[in-house]
Amino acid sequence: MTKKTLATLICSILFVANAQAKSHDPYESFNRKMYDFNDSVDTYVASPLANSYKFITPQLVQTGVFNFFNNLKGVNVVLNDVLQAKFSQSAADLGRFTLNSTAGLGGFIDVAKHIGLEQSDEDFDQTLAVWGVPQGSYLVLPFVGPNTVRGMPATAFDAAANPASYASAITYYISAPVQVMSALNARANAEGSLKFINEAALDKYVFTRESFLQWRKSLENDGKVSSTIDDDLMLTEEKSVSGLNLRLNDYKQFEIAAKSFGSVAQKFDLTAQNFEQATRKIEHLKHR
Amino acid sequence: MRLTKLAVVAFILNSLLATSVFAQEESASARQIIDKFQTDLITVMKDGKKLGYSGRYDKLEPAVINSHDLPKIARIVVGKEWEKLNDEQQKKLTDVFSKLSIASYAHNFKEFGGETFTIDSEEETKMGGVVIHSHLDLPDDKPVKFDYMLKEKGSSWRIINIIANGVSDLALKRSEYTAILQREGFDTLIAKINEKIDNYAKQ
Repeated sequence: MTKKTLATLICSILFVANAQAKSHDPYESFNRKMYDFNDSVDTYVASPLANSYKFITPQLVQTGVFNFFNNLKGVNVVLNDVLQAKFSQSAADLGRFTLNSTAGLGGFIDVAKHIGLEQSDEDFDQTLAVWGVPQGSYLVLPFVGPNTVRGMPATAFDAAANPASYASAITYYISAPVQVMSALNARANAEGSLKFINEAALDKYVFTRESFLQWRKSLENDGKVSSTIDDDLMLTEEKSVSGLNLRLNDYKQFEIAAKSFGSVAQKFDLTAQNFEQATRKIEHLKHR
Repeated sequence: MRLTKLAVVAFILNSLLATSVFAQEESASARQIIDKFQTDLITVMKDGKKLGYSGRYDKLEPAVINSHDLPKIARIVVGKEWEKLNDEQQKKLTDVFSKLSIASYAHNFKEFGGETFTIDSEEETKMGGVVIHSHLDLPDDKPVKFDYMLKEKGSSWRIINIIANGVSDLALKRSEYTAILQREGFDTLIAKINEKIDNYAKQ
């Protein structure tokens, strides 16, 4: 397995994603239908349920539930920190997770936040971006919402890495309420954003798509705004703005992916060497 | 004679000094525009409830007009469709777009809960623009990043775009506006903008 298999896997994802990347929304017709479907489900099912949840659940419990699931997400954050070779950030996020899981009573209290340790925002989609996999086309999934071709397998990976997904391993009676609670809480927290979209958007579908794609792009760049972003916007007035992300040709993308993967692999090698050295030192101390 | 020479030297030195001060002011003025606009916003937020929507709109109208290049933004948000509009339509679009911009500020910045704006840094772009990086601290939430892109207009600077937490308002609006123009036409676009202005006024 190791590096060769992993590299093949990444390259195959890269090609699938790139083949779809001709335009950022080639499935607009399908996506709009899915968007309308999700909108109806939200209006008639999710929103009333979330409102009831907010009504019957005290704010303290709501915050506790949010903290609990957010803390479990910490496992994903640490894992993706490491996969992106952000080793010092991964140490901070691991410290945050450990502190909240212990002193924060299993994650219900966000102790780390009070001492100024903010959680990083990392997921497997960003990891794939760091490895050079292009974003691919925009996709709206039933019940789930906005995503991209690259984001789909990434979401599955993140779900598999999140301990909340394994509540069923304990017992079904715990699993079902945990999943429902998680979904209701997520919807209740999204209330403000959805209200803003309803108020501000002239075309809710386009507004959601553009803000989602831009937000994902911003996470890839760790929130840094390039000073050329608006110059690009002025220069390319004749072109589609969202196409900016998808301009590179196949060869370039492949080269970038190979280089990024190479540098990540190099960092892994270095870390492995450090661990090896540390182990040797410990062995040496033992024998003294 | 000596006095005259001295006077000339003094005059030249003075001019040089004035030029350098002017240059500094010029580079700082983009920051000043943002600083003034953010101060105006916080002032209106503090009196937000007392002023009501129309009071906030009246206070923010000059603040937005004097800090944003609304005619230019209106032109960019419709992209290549701008050239297809006649003079009357272009004027109409600029007019309703300006009203919408002020209305959305009056609606979204309606009350004060201890929020503070801070300017973090500024940088020049390759095409002679300036980006001011700032953030809004919220009492019970993560800070929101506001990056302002400004272009020189006459002797001053004006906001062309605001990027909030990585989402560009200009790019977002352009996608929406061009999509509506192409699919439903100019009159529908204007009707939708007016509907938004009315909704902001009602809430």
